[in-house]
Amino acid sequence: MKKVFYYLKGYAVQSILGPLFKLGEATLELFVPLVVAKIIDVGIPNSDKNYIIKMGLILLGLAFAGLLMSVTAQYFAARASVGCVTKMRSALFAHIQTLSYSDLDSLGTSTVITRMTGDMNQIQTGLNIGLRLLLRSPFVVLGAMVMAFTIDTREALIFAGAIPILATVIFGIMLAGIPLYKKTQGKLDSVLRLTRENLTGVRVIRAFGREKEETARFVGSNNALVAIQEFAGKIAAVLNPATYVIINAAVIILIYSGAVKVNAGTLTQGETVALYNYMSQILIELIKFASLIISITKAAACANRVSDILDMSPSFEGGDVIGGSDTDEAVRFENVYLKYNETGGDALEDISFTLKKGQTLGIIGGTGAGKTSVVNLIPGFYHAAKGNVYVDGVNVNDWNQNSLKDRIGVVEQKATLFSGTIRDNLKWGDENATDEEIMSAARTAQAEDVINSKESGLDSVIEQGGKNLSGGQRQRLTIARALVKKPEILILDDSSSALDFATDAKLRKAIASIKDTSVIIVSQRTSSIKHADVIAVLDDGRLAGLGTHSELLENCPVYKEIYDSQYKKAGDEK
Amino acid sequence: MKKKRTSSNDRKTVKMLMKYVGRYKILLFFSILLAGVSVVLTLYIPILAGNAIDCIHGIGNVDFDSIKNILIKVGIIAAVTAVIQWIMNMINNRITYRVIRDARNDAFKKLEILPLKYLDSHPHGDTVSRIISDADQFGDGLLMGFSQLFTGVMTIGATLVFMLTINPPITAVVVVLTPLSLFMARFIAKKTHAMFTLRSQTNAEQTSHIEETLGNEKTVQAFSKENDANEKFNEINERLEKCSLKATFFSSLTNPCTRFINSIVYAAVALTGAIGVINGGHFAMTIGGLVSFLSYANQYTKPFNEISGVITELQNSLACAERLFEFINETPEIPDSKGAKTLVSPTGKVDFDSVYFSYTPGKKLIEDFNLSVHPGQRIAIVGPTGCGKTTLINLLMRFYDADSGKISVDGEPIKCLTRKSLRSNYGMVLQDTWLRYGTVRDNIRISKPDATDEEVIAAAKSAHAHSFIKRLPDGYDTVLGESDGGLSQGQKQLLCITRIMLSLPPMLILDEATSSIDTRTELKIQNAFAKMTEGRTSFIVAHRLSTIQSADVILVMKDGKIIEQGNHDSLMAQNGFYTNLYNSQFETT
Repeated sequence: MKKVFYYLKGYAVQSILGPLFKLGEATLELFVPLVVAKIIDVGIPNSDKNYIIKMGLILLGLAFAGLLMSVTAQYFAARASVGCVTKMRSALFAHIQTLSYSDLDSLGTSTVITRMTGDMNQIQTGLNIGLRLLLRSPFVVLGAMVMAFTIDTREALIFAGAIPILATVIFGIMLAGIPLYKKTQGKLDSVLRLTRENLTGVRVIRAFGREKEETARFVGSNNALVAIQEFAGKIAAVLNPATYVIINAAVIILIYSGAVKVNAGTLTQGETVALYNYMSQILIELIKFASLIISITKAAACANRVSDILDMSPSFEGGDVIGGSDTDEAVRFENVYLKYNETGGDALEDISFTLKKGQTLGIIGGTGAGKTSVVNLIPGFYHAAKGNVYVDGVNVNDWNQNSLKDRIGVVEQKATLFSGTIRDNLKWGDENATDEEIMSAARTAQAEDVINSKESGLDSVIEQGGKNLSGGQRQRLTIARALVKKPEILILDDSSSALDFATDAKLRKAIASIKDTSVIIVSQRTSSIKHADVIAVLDDGRLAGLGTHSELLENCPVYKEIYDSQYKKAGDEK
Repeated sequence: MKKKRTSSNDRKTVKMLMKYVGRYKILLFFSILLAGVSVVLTLYIPILAGNAIDCIHGIGNVDFDSIKNILIKVGIIAAVTAVIQWIMNMINNRITYRVIRDARNDAFKKLEILPLKYLDSHPHGDTVSRIISDADQFGDGLLMGFSQLFTGVMTIGATLVFMLTINPPITAVVVVLTPLSLFMARFIAKKTHAMFTLRSQTNAEQTSHIEETLGNEKTVQAFSKENDANEKFNEINERLEKCSLKATFFSSLTNPCTRFINSIVYAAVALTGAIGVINGGHFAMTIGGLVSFLSYANQYTKPFNEISGVITELQNSLACAERLFEFINETPEIPDSKGAKTLVSPTGKVDFDSVYFSYTPGKKLIEDFNLSVHPGQRIAIVGPTGCGKTTLINLLMRFYDADSGKISVDGEPIKCLTRKSLRSNYGMVLQDTWLRYGTVRDNIRISKPDATDEEVIAAAKSAHAHSFIKRLPDGYDTVLGESDGGLSQGQKQLLCITRIMLSLPPMLILDEATSSIDTRTELKIQNAFAKMTEGRTSFIVAHRLSTIQSADVILVMKDGKIIEQGNHDSLMAQNGFYTNLYNSQFETT
């Protein structure tokens, strides 16, 4: 909740003026009976039509002034609630961008999406209604009590007794509701997750004919959501009847004690009527208030969920070094260990190697040997549990994260493109890149014909996730994107797996001709890395060999085995 | 793409809404009944209270016995009303939540039968937004409608009866004037509907952006594009703010405006009434009459305010409902034909007979495609990227249907087979691995839900996945997160292969299934596959020689056509496209 008020601060004027105008409108309404009384008491007995018309006009004037005030109040409330939530949403999104990749792993995408959308909508609704009515209802309730005191102090004590009880019931239900609504949103996360999974995995699900089971799974999760919604609803449903009973109990006490007092001569019948009317006013107001309380309870629960993320501090902030030291080493690993999570084993153990500037490092090894893990440490996606990683002679933990990432071009295994034109995508590498620079990078990445085969060339639109491109086309574009950056260190993480041999060979040749760039190639194929200046052979998270192709063939059995497995002729295989 | 709002669209939405609500007829009946009872009782208590006060005549003249009786009645009625209200609230909750649940279930069921064409061409975020946020907002409006609309209508009815018993002509005047506020509400609701629709659309756009950015956060961070992502987000966010503000503000005008109209009615009544008292004539009445006239008018108009408020709220939720219903009403895949046969353990003879296919009309892709595959053959498909390999798989699995021509399995055209039986006879492993949130075991069991643990382990062993699974923190019970952070691409592929090893279907489709698996492991898997593919027709898209060379038939595809066909040796002898492709891997850089 605190967070909401923090973002509401920017709309302090609106948040204060909105409820005040609403109060003003409520006050104006109080004048109406007085004007009517004047018509009856003064206008009619005197048969003064002019006076009556004047009073009629005053009634219209009051109505119009009331309209203006409430419209102003609605505007301020809408402005403040929408504005505050817009700012919060923007802050949340920006905050998520600062979280490290492992933070996001543990959080899960689905819950972040619900928090950014559904939860924010609930907060907005709650805030909007709250600003409009939160001040008005207590004003009317307390006002009625004050009026009761002016009539009879002793009788007014019934009001003074009923109101705290009402407040306790209302806040009690609210407090009970918040965790329930929080749970509700949690269930909504699962419903959303299943929806996403079925969108991304549609081919696999249909291939296995699992539609029925998936539906059953969704229905189950949906039912769990409804169950908790209905449970929370049951508690919220108590609010109205409870206030109704409390107030009618107060009415009964009021009338009886009023009767006793009238009998004794300390109160008049008219005064009893007035007291009763005030109690009815409270009832009418509280019924409105009840629906508001539920919205606010929901909003509070959602605000807590949003705060949970906003309060997560990025597990890694980075240092402030923005330039490399004077060294000829592009990358150096010094006894590096890596763990992905606390309970798991070491993904990497005691890795050390050096890549000199302008040279090429090949990384090869079996599935799950830790090739990608090594590469992930260089731009700081993950951080070493033990040991040090240096880029340009500076420890990656001391680098300013942006400066570090600026000098490294990464092409991931999974070719990821974003919705937008091809040019937009390639410009990710360098915003100021000219079309010539983009096309030259594309040429190196063998992506020129991908671009040329599209009708609008660089302006061709890529759909979300690059769905309108084949895997190989996507891969070549992601390579081009990294090249546009003209990185000091280029990392190709098995990024030619979807390319046919001819294209792959051309790509290798082109990349080898790039000057002043240190290249790291991760691959399964010895053909891709055998010309590298250094080759690191990984096996089960450990370094099994380090050297050139010919050295490794001599003294690294793992490497020799990999090499042989690929260069056996077809005939030998059978 | 702006859709014009038509009232027929609205009517369709309301009609569909009625269909959903109609499933809870009994609950709905009770909701209305209880609303009626609770309104009558609520109106009755003030009358009783008035009676009690009437018994207080003055000093020493109070009828305590009657007061006691009446107050006991008040207490009982209040208690009964409270219970009725509580039950009514719960019924309304139940109807609303279940209507939304049903609609969500239907939307999900539709998701399972929508053609791939729809799912491939619509951003996922948009669909997610329809099923999640739109449904949610729709529910909020519906609940408010239920809890206030019925009581509102009932209150109007009850006060109407009450007024009629006192003075029919006066009642007629008020009855004629007050609906003005409803017209006002209708007017505002109509104007704001477009704003709410725009808001929902912008919301969906934002969800898509969130989905895209968060789903690929690593790439975003690698290119330090956090700021650009933020900028784009803020741009959408600002648009959302604008249309949200508009929608919220203009819809919130209803209440002040209808109250303004009521105030004018009130002023007009006071004015003409007062003049009537002085002048007589048509408006002749007494002062007392004027006072009650005014108080009734006031009581009667109040529920109109509430109802008009509900109308705008419903209008907002209708905009959301429309988006949800639109999705539910999407045209599904053409269902299996009536006499569709179930494909049972086919021999694996697959034929393509002059098949034509393209994703977008006018952009030809596969033309006059002919192929005959004998049972048990291993077909390797090679060719430059974008040549139509993946499309061929889409057609085999009936993810897409051919535009013309015939594909048949065991001589049976696949259009005459049930999709489920056709697909379940293929084991498919794609390059894009898909794992779900859940344990490793659950992920493997997708292909055979009733598999025993032993079967799962045996399958994992033959896919050479067992050893790495064992090393995961909780072995087969390790929960893979949504972004399956810890696993390498190759390990994911091994899990996907394990699925197939578990279900052992008669035909196989392997689309770059081993691209990220190291060659030694791949060789071992190949052996397992070889054992498995014995007698199994298999379609293999791959670049690796070992896979291609041992195939019975190699199809060399280019631009949607087979340009060369044969086994490795015969193709090498042709010295054509394939030979070039093959030699390129030995080319030195």
